[in-house]
Amino acid sequence: MIARGRTRIRVALALASAALPLLVAAGCGARKDKDGADAPAARQVFRFRLREEPPTLDPALMTDNLSESVVMNVHRGLVAMDPATLAVVPAVASSWTVSPDALTLTFHLRDDAVFHNGRAIVAADVLWSFERLLRKETHSPRRWLLEPIRGAAAFADGKAAAIAGLASPDPRTVVVTLERPFAPFLGMLTMAGASIVPREVYEDPEKKYLRAPVGCGPFRVVRYEPASLIEMAAFDRYYGGRPALDSVQVRIIENQVTALQEYRTGGLDSLDEVPGDLPEDVRPEVLRYPLLGVGYIGFNLDRPPFKGNAALRQALNYAVDKDYLWNTLLPGANIPGRGIIPPGVPGYDADLPGYPHDEAKARALLARAGYPSGKGLAPISLWFNTSGDNRRIAEQVQADLRKIGVPLTLREVDWAAFLKAVEGTPQAAGEAQMFRFGWGLDYPDADAVLRPLLHSKNIGPAGNYFRYRNPAFDDLVDRALGLQDPAERAGLYREAERMAVMQDAPWLFLNYFGSMTLFKPYVKGVTPTPLGEFRIPLERLHLEKPAS
Amino acid sequence: MTGYLLRRLLGLVPVLLAAATLVWLLLFALPGDPARLIAGPRAVDPEVVREVRAEWGLDDPAPVQYARYLARLLRGDLGISYAQTRPVGDILAEHLTPTLTLAVAAMALALVAGVGLGTLAAAHRGRGLDHLVLILALLGASTPVFWLGLLLILTFATWLRWLPVTGYGFDGIVLPLVGVRLPEWRHLVLPALTLALVLAGPLARVTRASVLDVAGTGSLVAARARGVSRGGVLLRHALRRALPPVATVLGLQLASLFGGAVATEFVFAWPGLGKALVRAIALRDLPLVEGCVLLLTAAYVLAALAVDLLLPILDPRIGDPAALQ
Repeated sequence: MIARGRTRIRVALALASAALPLLVAAGCGARKDKDGADAPAARQVFRFRLREEPPTLDPALMTDNLSESVVMNVHRGLVAMDPATLAVVPAVASSWTVSPDALTLTFHLRDDAVFHNGRAIVAADVLWSFERLLRKETHSPRRWLLEPIRGAAAFADGKAAAIAGLASPDPRTVVVTLERPFAPFLGMLTMAGASIVPREVYEDPEKKYLRAPVGCGPFRVVRYEPASLIEMAAFDRYYGGRPALDSVQVRIIENQVTALQEYRTGGLDSLDEVPGDLPEDVRPEVLRYPLLGVGYIGFNLDRPPFKGNAALRQALNYAVDKDYLWNTLLPGANIPGRGIIPPGVPGYDADLPGYPHDEAKARALLARAGYPSGKGLAPISLWFNTSGDNRRIAEQVQADLRKIGVPLTLREVDWAAFLKAVEGTPQAAGEAQMFRFGWGLDYPDADAVLRPLLHSKNIGPAGNYFRYRNPAFDDLVDRALGLQDPAERAGLYREAERMAVMQDAPWLFLNYFGSMTLFKPYVKGVTPTPLGEFRIPLERLHLEKPAS
Repeated sequence: MTGYLLRRLLGLVPVLLAAATLVWLLLFALPGDPARLIAGPRAVDPEVVREVRAEWGLDDPAPVQYARYLARLLRGDLGISYAQTRPVGDILAEHLTPTLTLAVAAMALALVAGVGLGTLAAAHRGRGLDHLVLILALLGASTPVFWLGLLLILTFATWLRWLPVTGYGFDGIVLPLVGVRLPEWRHLVLPALTLALVLAGPLARVTRASVLDVAGTGSLVAARARGVSRGGVLLRHALRRALPPVATVLGLQLASLFGGAVATEFVFAWPGLGKALVRAIALRDLPLVEGCVLLLTAAYVLAALAVDLLLPILDPRIGDPAALQ
């Protein structure tokens, strides 16, 4: 009797404790079945990872690179940017002409461009899409893309029923008239905000297009699994020819470590934002390339101790060892920074001296700034948001500045609190004295970094968080905008950059952006592009997977 | 019984209102402007932010915003997510199935392992096996979930290649009528196992303590005296009477999984509610945070109610909860 009871307990407990490994073991069996079923399919499926669900798939609302990864494959505008050469190339418009006074652009639409819903694109679609971007109720943060068009502001304010500078003399022609000559305009039209969308889809009050966008790009969204997967399929009628890839799976995996394991085990074909200390087995698969972006620590020029004290700002620049930061502490894709305009952008100044690490110079400038050895300097707040390597960067800067006697207090907060402390309003400065920030250029033009970040018209949330005011700088940037000669423009931008960097130093210049992306060796046709990690043109990819 | 159930369910209303108010106040007090975040992560024209603020009513005085919010809740309307511009109800529904499947699978595994090991420890009180179970339980309860998750991924996915690393699986069964898609079970194993290993610890300890507690009572001694084996006493008498405290812990654990599986969801890229909640807080997406918190609160209250209803079934001596009211 006793023996039987014990046996029963043992059986029950054995079953209980065996349940977990049994489940796991059962999982192995199923994997084989599934693999077996998948094996015969030779579909070209490319899988990559995003660290978060894209905030939006609406091209009018998109401002971030996660959304870009889908939007730029689904949508097209009149023109596009060649990812390798950064030249403006035809898209829905097969050709265009610019009038001698640089005020009128005439676009000729191709006749084989169709939306994913099968409807052919006509000039009225361009007009409606542009109006949509400008309309108040769209709340587009990219309204400024079309503001150079004559009458755009009046239309946006509801003072005009149509955009005066926008016309379609026939269904295949769009004529755009600008308020004044504006050199970067064509480049700006390559951005997602200027995409052409079908009215019948984007007037939906239920906004189904947020999950099922309809464009005319090489891929169409066929599946949206919240916080998990966005699947795109090749669009057979893409005007540029059907892509070689049948399908693209965008997997949302927040954790960097698990994403790397997913890549190593074959669950992903590409992975970006990888750590610097990669495992040996995947190191040969890394592709490094520069990006159009610049990283810095901003000084609040309306708050002490930086207000009216350029010597102090220069001292801090000399005190921080940028080479150590990017080559030793955080080796990876970033390049030690010297200025504002990143390499690859017309106007980039290879001879700009910047502020190479020099403690003696830093001390001398600190004394000239009125704080010999840091005496009389209260701790300065350095703000950064909780993300990536921000803390390590801030700690290194703190350590470097401590060496010359400048005390920093680190303030790590979440993104919302960070923006509140940094942006301020056009009238009042934010709370932060110093803050870590970066800027990816929307298009490869020096205006795309100098104007939003440092022009005095953009003080506050519009981008000039530093509250930098220099009429001579504003004048150079404004003058460059109206010039048509690229060399002359680049010259003015170089002059403006030297003025801001070497004379005024509104930032602590840290780095130029770069990217490290992993690609499996069987992924062919990869075109690295400075436009961003997620701008590698997927329609040029194909897979040469060994048969397994 | 129906009256009792109704009373308990009505009691949910003030609890939900209190939770809603607390969350609203907390988010209101947090630094950061929702309108600025809705306008996008880049530098932005202040005019666009002003328009957004006006459209969402974020420039109204706090009492007006609160009153509008309460009125909306009382109508059963959870509102529209700031960040996703879609109904909060739809977003919660999308995340509920992954959360529920993970919670149920983890709890089932934890129940089997926790109660089994707890009973085993009680049966071998003071001996090696008992100590081993207690140490394992302590280890399970004190292991950080993300670390355990990574360890399991490295073992079963990276090295052994038995199971997938992350995800929900894209080919799971779609339930007829409701149309929700279940996870692929191969994808469910590792996240469920991770959570189960952590949850099983406290369950094993409670089971052991509870079994030992009732093991010395008179009726069990009498059963032994009648010739029932020690194991038989444990399984047929002691375990059943020891279950009420276990059920209570189980109920709380299950409710906590609705929002508390965040670390597991992050490690395994599981599209659950916890992750949605964390993201909504970061984006100051007030309607979505409120929706998640209300759902969590409801889960806790309903789990407590379910436990109260279950207890008399497990141990008839506890009596009808309705009669106690």
